[in-house]
Amino acid sequence: MTATGARAIGRAVHGVGVGGRSERSPRPRRFGGRALTLALLVAPSVFLVVVIHGYPLVYAVVQALHDGSLVALGDFVGLQNFVTALENPVFWHAALFTLVFTVTGVFGSWAIGLGLALLLRKRVHVRSVFRTLLLLPWIVPIVVSSTAWNWLVATPASPVPLLARDLGLGSVLFLADPTLAQVTVCVFKVWVSFPFMMLMAGAALASIDTNVYEAARVDGANGRQIFFQVTLPLIARSTYISWILMTIFCINDFPTIFLLTGGGPVNATNTLVVLAYQTVFANFQTGPGVAIAFMMTLVAVLISVALFRQIRRADVS
Amino acid sequence: MTALGVRGAAHPGRPAPAALRRRRGREEASGQWRWTLPVIAIAAVVLVPIVVTIVLSIVPQSQSTTHAAVTLENFVHVFTQTRVLEWVRNSLVVTLATVVVSVAVAAPAGYVLSRGRGKAVSGYSLLLFVAQSLPIIVSVVPLFILFARFDLVDNLFGLAIVYISSTMSVATWMMAAYFDSIPIALEEAAWIDGSSLFGGFVRIVLRNSLPGVLSTAIFSFLLAWNDYLVAIVFLRSDANYTLPVGLQSFFAENNSQWGYVMAESVVMMLPPIVIFAFLNRYFSVGGIGGSLAGR
Repeated sequence: MTATGARAIGRAVHGVGVGGRSERSPRPRRFGGRALTLALLVAPSVFLVVVIHGYPLVYAVVQALHDGSLVALGDFVGLQNFVTALENPVFWHAALFTLVFTVTGVFGSWAIGLGLALLLRKRVHVRSVFRTLLLLPWIVPIVVSSTAWNWLVATPASPVPLLARDLGLGSVLFLADPTLAQVTVCVFKVWVSFPFMMLMAGAALASIDTNVYEAARVDGANGRQIFFQVTLPLIARSTYISWILMTIFCINDFPTIFLLTGGGPVNATNTLVVLAYQTVFANFQTGPGVAIAFMMTLVAVLISVALFRQIRRADVS
Repeated sequence: MTALGVRGAAHPGRPAPAALRRRRGREEASGQWRWTLPVIAIAAVVLVPIVVTIVLSIVPQSQSTTHAAVTLENFVHVFTQTRVLEWVRNSLVVTLATVVVSVAVAAPAGYVLSRGRGKAVSGYSLLLFVAQSLPIIVSVVPLFILFARFDLVDNLFGLAIVYISSTMSVATWMMAAYFDSIPIALEEAAWIDGSSLFGGFVRIVLRNSLPGVLSTAIFSFLLAWNDYLVAIVFLRSDANYTLPVGLQSFFAENNSQWGYVMAESVVMMLPPIVIFAFLNRYFSVGGIGGSLAGR
């Protein structure tokens, strides 16, 4: 019943071409008079967001200014927790690696995701099967995939290090060497994230009118020119949005790093989230840990708001 | 223009008109190997960790007595000798609660986001955006203390509350994106026939939004089924573990028993894979962009 209904709507949308927000103004007058119903409809959602996100944020500020624990608030210490956190060289290292991790995570997964989305628009046999298969890294729980990656790379006797030795690269310790561990964690993140970018890019590419390409070809543009001057600008908005979301996902990502390396070796792959978690739950320094999480939050919100404004700018041009 | 464009492609679940479907059929038939081979090569590399998981779960471990090449004894072992069934049950309870409540709360909120106008709606949109960029780690410690007061620590119900809230932003954007594709003319007709705003929402909009609901449900399912951070903070006892925490603790204790570890891994990754295998065409993230920034 509902399915047939949806089909009818689908036909209506296709046939008549109504549906986007822009066609809907001017809004019906009687709609405005029902503010109370609208408020009631949105109330549960607002309540949840405020209680589960708003209240803890305020409480976190209070906590960051006290020397308490998980059970007691403790005494007011002013900015002492922030000083403690900032004086720790591990903090600065973690901040730097968070930056590296986020930049490679966002642009690595975007490049691969966009490439695959473009490839999957070509004439590929059983395309829908491949589309689903390539989503798997994103669908499979991180706990599972990190276990599999562990089996593949963790010890010198694991398959990938053995393969590297047979290729004459010597003994490669993917998770024991600090630099290599950083690279491995970033590659793992790109592996997990590219399907999301592929979905976003795929949806944007599918919305481009193919006539645009034909017009560009008629004008004598080659494949590269079409990509840079037609395709990329047309999906710019979706691209910015996927960057914003992925930036948030990367900054806030905990399991990818925690499960593969635990932040080691010697803090090499510690990001701010992992550091905050360890400071609170392993070192039991609640104040400094919450201070780290709070500073991280501030940066995350600032970055996403800055990118958010980029979208608006892209809309104007 | 771009907003409409993204949205137009956002719902592969919407059945295509017959002509389009015929053309798509021809395209599938006329696949070319020079495009297919690179895709096969990439998929082969990308899927190595997943194939490894499956293979290790069905080959006998070194101390095994069987000589068969393929065996189910790893699965028999984890189902009979470990608490994996309890963990599956816990994960199912938490995930189903999250999916049902998320959709129930996000659908009306998405309707307001889609149809409402004015400062309050823009403010709400911004609130969702800020909530989405807040790291869960900053909420976890205060929530731990708050939940301890209500006996919600080490409690599956408490866990579900956090998940439901974590899904709220994206779930609302997804529902709003789908509602945007439903012409308001249908509701207007219902209003003229005397239907209330709420009645129009339920009878006209919601009942025609199966793909949008499914998409949101799949997203909530993935978030709740896969989460590790919240679960490891809030769950304290074996009996309450969800699969991610259970699997991780099992891995930490038995990290050379790869057959058993991978058998549990397969148990854990099967539900999301099965769901995607069947409902893939309903799942779309493309639309959330329009909802996120469009108002």
